[in-house]
Amino acid sequence: MTEGYKHIPPGWDYNPATWSQRIPIVILAMIGFFIASYLALYQLDIISNVWEPFFGDGSVTILNSKVSNVLPIPDAALGAFGYLVDAVTGIIGGTGRWKKMPWIVIVFGLAVGPLGFVSVMLVVFQPVLFSAWCTLCLCSAVISIAMIGPAMDEMLASLQYIQRVRRSNASTWKAFWGVQSEIEKVN
Amino acid sequence: MWARLINTALGLWLMVAPGIFQYSQAASDNGHIAGPIIVTFSVVAIWEATRVVRKWNYPVAIWLLAAPWVLGYENTIAIVSDMGVGVLVIIFASIKGRIENNYGGGWSSLWKKNPEHIQKSDPN
Repeated sequence: MTEGYKHIPPGWDYNPATWSQRIPIVILAMIGFFIASYLALYQLDIISNVWEPFFGDGSVTILNSKVSNVLPIPDAALGAFGYLVDAVTGIIGGTGRWKKMPWIVIVFGLAVGPLGFVSVMLVVFQPVLFSAWCTLCLCSAVISIAMIGPAMDEMLASLQYIQRVRRSNASTWKAFWGVQSEIEKVN
Repeated sequence: MWARLINTALGLWLMVAPGIFQYSQAASDNGHIAGPIIVTFSVVAIWEATRVVRKWNYPVAIWLLAAPWVLGYENTIAIVSDMGVGVLVIIFASIKGRIENNYGGGWSSLWKKNPEHIQKSDPN
């Protein structure tokens, strides 16, 4: 835990990159990954039924809709890949990563933020275009949205760090990629 | 916290109400679009570092006040519901709630000249 205190950003009360901050997000991402993978297996015809406790053939309607097949690979497979990126970029790096490897935090933040937004769009498409709901798709959306808030504090710490780098004589490019000599120049 | 949860509930209400009260197509689509957006902004705003996102609900809520007249709702329940939710979302989105931690000046620090996190960093 002392490791966590060591890396509190200036003007902050806590370190947003501690494991207790990151592990819950990674767990959510893994649950999202399993749900999306399951739905992708159905869309790829590897399994023939999909679990749907509330909305009758709603899931079948949604998962076979034109929107979900607009790309060469089914949308749930893309979602699963997105969750995997969230989980991997959530795990990589130590408790000082907002400063020592800003690039991974920025990739993490971008993966969590836009993925959550896409989930909302898919929820909107369901009833408006197809008059149907899909339980597991809604679960996936809830998970995506719940990840955004807790992930963004670390993103803010990294963006503020890059702002400090820009004001200094260190190279922003090198600091972004975590080059040790540049990182040491800026607090 | 509770202000965000109330707005989340109001957003969920917008999503389920069209099915319960047999809204017209336009009123129904409007609820199904505005609802998830309000839920998303409200849930993201639960966390202190992203509390500012509560304000993104303002334009959606203002649209809800206008939507019944722009889209020509006929169902009285739909009109009252959308406008009522619009007013309530504006009220609860305006409540900032308690912020216990410091965030180096927050998101607005990124376009300030001398933000808190720069003042507090030791020039080593």
